[in-house]
Amino acid sequence: MRHGLAALWAESLKARRSKVPWLTALGFSLAPLMGGLFMVILKDPARARSMGLISAKAQLTAGVADWPTFLGVLAQATAVGGAMLFALVTAWVFGREFADGTVKDLLALPTPRATIVAAKFVVVAVWGTALAALVLALGLVVGAAVGLPGWSWALLVRATGDLAATACMTLALMPPVALLASIGRGYLAPVGWAILTVFLAQILAAIGWGSWFPWSVPPLFAGLAGPRSAQLGAHSYVVVAVTFAAGLASTFTWWQKADQSR
Amino acid sequence: MSAAIEIRGLTKRYGDVLAVDSLDLHIEPGEVYGFLGLNGAGKTTTIRALLGMVRPSSGGVSLLGRVVGPYGDGPWRRVGHLVETPAAYPELTVRENLEIARRLYGVEDRGATSRALERFGLGASAGRRAGTLSTGNRQRLGLARALLHEPKLLILDEPANGLDPAGVVEVRELLGALARERGVTVFMSSHILAEVNRLASRVGILHHGRLVEELDAADLEGRRARRLVVDARDRAAARSALEAAGYAVTVDGRGGGLALADLRAIEAPDEVARALVAAGAPPLRLAVEQEDLEEHFLRLIGASA
Repeated sequence: MRHGLAALWAESLKARRSKVPWLTALGFSLAPLMGGLFMVILKDPARARSMGLISAKAQLTAGVADWPTFLGVLAQATAVGGAMLFALVTAWVFGREFADGTVKDLLALPTPRATIVAAKFVVVAVWGTALAALVLALGLVVGAAVGLPGWSWALLVRATGDLAATACMTLALMPPVALLASIGRGYLAPVGWAILTVFLAQILAAIGWGSWFPWSVPPLFAGLAGPRSAQLGAHSYVVVAVTFAAGLASTFTWWQKADQSR
Repeated sequence: MSAAIEIRGLTKRYGDVLAVDSLDLHIEPGEVYGFLGLNGAGKTTTIRALLGMVRPSSGGVSLLGRVVGPYGDGPWRRVGHLVETPAAYPELTVRENLEIARRLYGVEDRGATSRALERFGLGASAGRRAGTLSTGNRQRLGLARALLHEPKLLILDEPANGLDPAGVVEVRELLGALARERGVTVFMSSHILAEVNRLASRVGILHHGRLVEELDAADLEGRRARRLVVDARDRAAARSALEAAGYAVTVDGRGGGLALADLRAIEAPDEVARALVAAGAPPLRLAVEQEDLEEHFLRLIGASA
């Protein structure tokens, strides 16, 4: 317990002193702001044209400016944006030890290596949850400012649940990113992996295999391609859980067993 | 009492490369052990194996009576280490870097961080971000981290790297005092052989992954080659005279004079002087010199190669 608290304190201090949390918060803030702008445009396209927000030639044929649509957009932004930004966070939390050469100071300590790895995952989880909460909170402010119709407390509860589940599933796909940051000893491999999985998630979802591909599941769950019941099955949540467990086990094993010869 | 360091048949392979080959070492508590070798000799791999950072291909390691590994287990609360270039979290202050170490080592005493800062002259830099430190101060931070938890065994890879001359002396005195007064065992690799010569009670020389020689201070004294160095105004005449007197003469690599390795010359330099005077080439300088650790090391490595 004492070692766990020490490792958690150390990891949170590193995160607090870094600029990366602010940059990821800034990046995630764009989702509700852009979503809000989109709602303004949908609400009154003629006014948006007169204000110069959109081109006179723009054709807006789909979408409704209301709370259910806006909250759905936020969940989808969490799925797609989270796949990249949560991966950046994970790559930084794990990869920095190799980039800064500090990993060798984490290996021969009374605090077990597994405890340090667990603390890193806790920081990633808390950080990701805070970003998702920021999206929701900022979204509520923006939605209220735009004056969207269709508000209800029941809707808020349901949308919060959807956004939380989307964020949790996206975070569950981070252990492979941590493993790649460790094996690749830096940032390049995990960031490359994140870009690849986002790309593949789009392709496989488009050709109808998304329910089997873990990285397609969160955006499909968030409704990116229509109602989730039509897109996902129980197997979809199983592949996400298996990816999480396999990534977690591999990362812990790698830290315990791999030669640290550099 | 168990050995501070016990290495039994340690072998480490990286693919086809044999980094360490059947290494055996036994180091008693309180010893200062100098570990010498050229770049790539296997020193750092040995140090990493001691610290459980690499898994031996065969053989094993015990520190302070406890087996190291295979999952990073070891008596780490009693071991301090500095491996290669010291690293620190650049955006954290010097104090914060040490504070992380204090907590991860499980040191309850909050004053330990301040003491470590003062011990290595980092008090004035405590609030500075570690990323802005000079190489020497980063080395001091690495040493402060290694000593913060008052370990019984110190494993140091090039501890004098990047330090200015005053810092080198300071660290030497500190390590010497820790060994003498507190019985701390120091295992240090170094390229600065003069430092090892001054500090180590025993020296091991590693070459191509094998321990080619191990000697204590008395051994070193006995095994280091001696020679009589002679200089004269007319070196050619002096050389002819000495060769005529039956001495084997070589050119002294350092001063350009003449060197005689015969025991007969080393034990009776007056005879050499007499032969030179009689031949009309009186000596300007006549001195018995003993090779230092650096020369001994290079001679041994050269012979081994």
